Amino acid sequence: MLLISDVHLGKVSHFRKFGAAVPQAAVRKNFDLLTEALFHFNPQTLCFMGDLFHSSLNKEWRLFEEWVHQVDLQIILVAGNHDIISPIKYEELGIRVVSEIQLEGFLLTHHPEERQGFFNFSGHIHPAVCLRGGGRQSLRLPCFFKSENQLILPAFGAFTGTYVLEPNSRDEVYALTKDAVFQVRFQESKRRRRFSK
Amino acid sequence: MTRDQLYNIAEDWFEQQDWKPFPFQKNTWKAFLQGKNGLLNAPTGSGKTYALWFPIVLSYIKKNPDYRTKHKKGLKAIWITPLRALSQEIKQSAERVTADLGTQMTVGIRTGDTTTNERARQKRNMPDLLITTPESLQLLLATKGYDKIFKDCMAVVVDEWHELLGTKRGVQMELGLSRLKTIAKELRIWGISATIGNLEQAREVLLGPFSQALENSVLIKAKLNKKITVRSIIPREMETFPWRGHLGIRLLEDVVPIINNSKTTLLFTNTRSQCEIWFQKILEKHPEFAGELAMHHGSINKETRLWVEQAIRNESLRAVVCTSSLDLGVDFAPVETVVQIGGPKGIARFLQRAGRSGHRPGKESVIYFLPTHAIELIEASALQKAVKENAVEDRIPYLNSFDVLLQYLTTLAISDGFYPHEIFHEIRQTFCYQAITEDQWQWLLNFLVMGSQSLQSYDEYKKVEIEEGGKFKVNNRGVAMRHRFQIGTIVGDANLTVRYQKGGYIGTIEEYFISKLNPGDVFTFAGRNLEFIRIKEMQVHVRNSNKKTNKVPSWMGGRLTLSAQMSELLRNELYTVSQEGKKQSVEIKSLAHIFKRQRQESIVPKPDEFLIESFKTRDGYHYIFYPFEGRFVHEAMGSLLGYRISLLSPITFSLAFNDYGFELLSDKAFDVQQVIDNDLFTTDYMLDDLEKSLNSTEMARRKFRDIAVISGLVFTGYPNKGVKMKHLQSSSQLLFNVFRDYEDDNLLFQQAFRETFEHQLEEGRLRISLERIETQQIVWKQCENPTPFSFPLITDRMSREKLSSEKLADRIKRMAALLAKR
Repeated sequence: MLLISDVHLGKVSHFRKFGAAVPQAAVRKNFDLLTEALFHFNPQTLCFMGDLFHSSLNKEWRLFEEWVHQVDLQIILVAGNHDIISPIKYEELGIRVVSEIQLEGFLLTHHPEERQGFFNFSGHIHPAVCLRGGGRQSLRLPCFFKSENQLILPAFGAFTGTYVLEPNSRDEVYALTKDAVFQVRFQESKRRRRFSK
Repeated sequence: MTRDQLYNIAEDWFEQQDWKPFPFQKNTWKAFLQGKNGLLNAPTGSGKTYALWFPIVLSYIKKNPDYRTKHKKGLKAIWITPLRALSQEIKQSAERVTADLGTQMTVGIRTGDTTTNERARQKRNMPDLLITTPESLQLLLATKGYDKIFKDCMAVVVDEWHELLGTKRGVQMELGLSRLKTIAKELRIWGISATIGNLEQAREVLLGPFSQALENSVLIKAKLNKKITVRSIIPREMETFPWRGHLGIRLLEDVVPIINNSKTTLLFTNTRSQCEIWFQKILEKHPEFAGELAMHHGSINKETRLWVEQAIRNESLRAVVCTSSLDLGVDFAPVETVVQIGGPKGIARFLQRAGRSGHRPGKESVIYFLPTHAIELIEASALQKAVKENAVEDRIPYLNSFDVLLQYLTTLAISDGFYPHEIFHEIRQTFCYQAITEDQWQWLLNFLVMGSQSLQSYDEYKKVEIEEGGKFKVNNRGVAMRHRFQIGTIVGDANLTVRYQKGGYIGTIEEYFISKLNPGDVFTFAGRNLEFIRIKEMQVHVRNSNKKTNKVPSWMGGRLTLSAQMSELLRNELYTVSQEGKKQSVEIKSLAHIFKRQRQESIVPKPDEFLIESFKTRDGYHYIFYPFEGRFVHEAMGSLLGYRISLLSPITFSLAFNDYGFELLSDKAFDVQQVIDNDLFTTDYMLDDLEKSLNSTEMARRKFRDIAVISGLVFTGYPNKGVKMKHLQSSSQLLFNVFRDYEDDNLLFQQAFRETFEHQLEEGRLRISLERIETQQIVWKQCENPTPFSFPLITDRMSREKLSSEKLADRIKRMAALLAKR
């Protein structure tokens, strides 16, 4: 099973419909990336962890329909707060819409959740991490954010923002660059030294 | 009525007031009544309003001989002011003229503060004389049938034109005027400007280059010789005076006697947060000023500001701590003394502030300069020379601002619609768009209608439609409503209104600041300590608190830089350090021990020397360069040099700038000798390198943010209306990336880079500076410790640029995430 979270399909078209001319060419990007991911992992089941569509129905839905017809696998949607399109539309495409999935000790939800006896996979947050280094350098990168019983997935969508989370020592953070995933080192925050004469 | 008879009316009025008209006033009356356009160069408080209200009213009298008994309705003249706070004042002087001359003319104000009821009433029945802002004028162009409103308008006066010139609000004004010229056949256009370096160009931009309006125009200068005395406040204990800082609170006790010895004192600060702090601290140390000290800045609510302005006039205040919000307009006769806290960053601004004191003709203006750190005393000394030489700077007008043009075209499309050939003809006569090509124009039209350059399948882009007959029109109410809210070209962070829980508006605050607060936190705002309760519907709810706090909101906007002339004066001052004592000013002499300390490890550069310092601290390896050319040039030179060094070997820099120099900070060391050996200051390939360096810094991204908002790509919501449009909000950062990846030939995307070159980096000045450095000898000092000169730079933690030629993966390996504090 492949888990993908927060794709926010239709966001570009939604903006354009309301008069903000975001480049239309960006619409294809999400579909290309989805296809690439499926080709790479070749899963039996694809599970969208919520916020698959950004808003109400628009013409990008038709691109999505075409895409679903092209790929041949089981698709499940764990509905998120943005998923306001009727489940009937998804079911017509053979996509099951659920509010959560329980699976051999794993709990799949859109919003991060803690539940006794389960390890939770979730999305919603669009997590990022802020890295610091010598020479007052800093970097902000999207990441997988793992705490004791939870893994929050980064947003998959090409036209989405991020939210910086601060880890504590028991967490594990895996940062994303264009072509790789790195585990992030941690460092105690210390008070910055003040200059004096 | 003959012209002489008309003059008599005006001169009689002056006589009744026991005044005598200045020559510039009479010259303006004459030129106006001859049907001319023009630019009047006159300072604030010189009687400039009467120079133009009179001929406007006299023209009406001439056309309507029975003006005393009959009233001809309809808009006759528009007075544009950049600050709506000034509109009351202007209205009063207009009403005085219309009433005393016995006309039945009406005067009205239309700004963002005008109620909906009042607006509706105005739309039905326009006042004869309308006072408004550039934004509100645009909004009038967004009303149906606007041509009927303006058709009999005979004059537009653009007040404080120097404030608008060189900004996108100025471009908005150029566009508005281009339309009015066509609709109102007998329109005269007048500007009023304080002294700036490029007055002739200011006239050209206002009236349109090569236009008939320009041909039939005059430039009138009010030559009022005003004596200005500048006095520096020199710290008594120079040894302990800080090397860095921007507050100046240390010298608070030196300000107290100045306040005590003068009727009313204005203390000008450079930022609103600085203003808050000074106000707070004076009252803390000197509670006896309570009730006699007030504060004035742009984020404080209007009633309070008006109250303060009124209180200055009736002399019930000893002192007012203020920001540029009191730079313009409003005549404050009782002000005797002005104190400038920290460098004013511009001579024109400094002169204008000085002019706030001793307002009566013949009176001397006194301005004190209070340095916030030691090196600023050099600036104080340079300012004295600048004032003597009246060396004021230019305001550089914008060219080809496609974002403002798109906004304007949408505005026309939501009112009556427009025909492209007609509007193209008009805008081509403006200064900003004099060089726009047919191709660019077509691109903009396509963008409005299709949101791209070709029609694409699956697209639902909706904005402007082309009706039968070729009229461009917005027919979607949602588009029109959102656009009306967006009109305006001043872009800030999203602003939230601050209110008491039970109601009562206090002011506005940037979202950026509030986002860092937790409920229960106490912060200082509008001179009060407030406890943050919650954010609700774009409003910040607070209650009063007795707790002490050091949290003061910061406002991002309005960073200033030294002009070319001021930079040169500054360098020359510095060079006197190496000369004999006689040639040195008091300020330079007072800095003797700082220069001594500087020389322990480094040098004070002479005219033929260019200084580079390097040293290591816990933060990393610091490389400091001192061109003394002003912040913007340093920003450009820092990026350029950083980029060129990063070509030699992979390295990552964090860059800091101020008006004296710039710093390259890295976690790796590099050899400065390589900079010298490789001739990295060369002007060869300068543009090319600069352009490439821009791709690796944030500058163009920041410009794009404004462009995206102005052109309607990003929707900011309705801050004051409590309407959220979350599903339509996106960060301009994200948008910048999407354009870079998919549409980098987009004119708006490219504009971000062009603006960075023309307005941020001042390419021309950069070249001249580099040429100067090439004639100098480079002196590289390897120091053990930070030097006094370097101090303000290395301690600047804000507003740093980044530049890197390393692979992301390599950088990540050396970096770490800070653990949450718990």
